[in-house]
Amino acid sequence: MSKHRSFQEAPEHEEIAMLIPWYVNNTLSDRDRSKVDVHLCSCAACRDDLMLERRVHQGMIVDCPVEYMPAASLNRLRDMLDGKSEGRGQQAVIEPERWGRRLRRWQWLAAASFILMAAAVGLLAAGRWMQGSSRLAAPVFYTVTNPAPHPRDEVVRAVFSPTITLVELQSLLDEAQLRIISGPSEAGVYSLAARSDMPVGTSLALLRRHPAVRFAEGTALSDLPPEPGRAR
Amino acid sequence: MTLLARSAPKESDRELLVAVASGNRRALEELYLAYHRRLARFLARFTPAYENIEEIINDTFMVVWQSAKDFRNASQVSTWIIGIAYRTALKSIRRQKNHAGAANLDDCPEPTFDPTVDTEMHDWLNHGLNRLPTEQRLTLELAYHMGHSLEEIAAITDCPVGTVKARMFHAREKLRQYLPGLGGSGPLPERAG
Repeated sequence: MSKHRSFQEAPEHEEIAMLIPWYVNNTLSDRDRSKVDVHLCSCAACRDDLMLERRVHQGMIVDCPVEYMPAASLNRLRDMLDGKSEGRGQQAVIEPERWGRRLRRWQWLAAASFILMAAAVGLLAAGRWMQGSSRLAAPVFYTVTNPAPHPRDEVVRAVFSPTITLVELQSLLDEAQLRIISGPSEAGVYSLAARSDMPVGTSLALLRRHPAVRFAEGTALSDLPPEPGRAR
Repeated sequence: MTLLARSAPKESDRELLVAVASGNRRALEELYLAYHRRLARFLARFTPAYENIEEIINDTFMVVWQSAKDFRNASQVSTWIIGIAYRTALKSIRRQKNHAGAANLDDCPEPTFDPTVDTEMHDWLNHGLNRLPTEQRLTLELAYHMGHSLEEIAAITDCPVGTVKARMFHAREKLRQYLPGLGGSGPLPERAG
């Protein structure tokens, strides 16, 4: 950048030097342009500046010969507008609506949260109530020797060792001519029905002989032989 | 004043913008077509891909669509639209720079030019321009390529006139250091921030 020639001329020189780009692109006001013109007559440094800036301007003003066709990008703008037109229109009007929608969405979420919380509290209360009432009511359990709740056709209840394999179990049941009709219960009890005319006592004896049978008991007590070592 | 800066009739722009403010999409499209070429050529000096140029222009016109009602006639419509494009471009250029990390600004496209213009000078000029800080380069481009006045650039960049003058001053200084043909002694070692 050019250097001013004397202290007195410095402020004006600096001011004019700053305006040279707009003198070059011809956008200065008439007043400023006249000031620059006058200064240029007496300032060689600014004339040099002006010459150099004109070269830069010439280099930059060169227009790109490539023609950009706006049709495709205008179509994309249309798509953008369609995508957002729901939220646009009259912005002043739409903005509150958008907020209203957001608010309603939050209201829905709040309502859903409230319902979920109410359901959770309800379940908790029901659980507590059922625990409390179950303490008062008769105990809901039965023993394997309780004759009341046993399935139809059941002749034997048995508990097998957890180490017994499926093949072993199937083989044992085949031998005793029994089949599983339900189970295992929570206590691991199976209900077994007869598969043939083999007496229940024989089936029971076969079961009791097997090392993987922890427990076997006939449910039709009248048909049963006495358990080994136990008097009937 | 160049044709680029003064190609759009001011009054029709204003009428179109009023129509846009009332939700008239046809008016927006007219404005778009009127400014597309001018903006595309300006943006092509900064960004290599046409997709980026198109994105900046479309983002600009989305802002125009959404903010037309806020236009208070404080400036010309062209200044207002180019100001939006300037800010959108600035964001895009900064984003690209962030993504590119320490990518060399020499990677920026060399604008196509008239072969009758001095090739060496043109090369040096583009080389030097690519090394200017974004704001300084944009100020130079707005003045020399787009032909805007000092006050218009202040409005477009939303800066005081003094800041525009200072940016231009520093841009010219750096450019001269870079351009031997303009009195500089060679390339700057580092691009100034």
